Amino acid sequence: MEMVFIAAALIIGLGALGAGIGFGLLGGKLLESTARQPEMANQLQTKAFIMAGLLDAVPMIGVGIAMYLIFVVAG
Amino acid sequence: MNRSSKAITYVPLGKWLIIEMAVLFVLSLLWLLESRLAGYSALIGGLIFVIPNAYFAHRAYRYQGARHMHLAVSNIFRAESIKLALTAVFFAAVFTLMEPVHVPALLFTFAVMVVLGTALRWLIRPRPQR
Repeated sequence: MEMVFIAAALIIGLGALGAGIGFGLLGGKLLESTARQPEMANQLQTKAFIMAGLLDAVPMIGVGIAMYLIFVVAG
Repeated sequence: MNRSSKAITYVPLGKWLIIEMAVLFVLSLLWLLESRLAGYSALIGGLIFVIPNAYFAHRAYRYQGARHMHLAVSNIFRAESIKLALTAVFFAAVFTLMEPVHVPALLFTFAVMVVLGTALRWLIRPRPQR
């Protein structure tokens, strides 16, 4: 039973780690590129927004599976 | 510098939401052929994605323009954190409060909506508007 909780913790933790690194890089590059070319800010923000959607797809599914493991499999 | 680079970006939040809800409705109807519980679970699974995603899209575009870019980036970070937390809370609520639940319908519809949400942002992009 404890292994289920460890698996759920790994899924959520590694998903959050990946999303955090990705969003950090994305936000940093967005600020950097906006500082270089402020007139492109709106287009860059739109592209960052689209990339954010790609970035959080896997952690979102991971959260769903982890909650299933915690509340249905272990519970 | 072209004209569109200076324009305010129009985000088609309403259009995304309508398409997502339409696809969710169709998926729920398809799961309804399996059983009434499966259709209901599929609808709940889709809503678990649609509600936090709508909040994220709304909050990510609260600030625009180079002058407010640091606020926009911090808003994207906060919106993403709240989106993940809301998803976890909704799943926990469904698995504890909703009894019984058709888990394959719930998770499958949720996964399809996640992929659809990403594809929609790519296909129907926010466009600059003067």
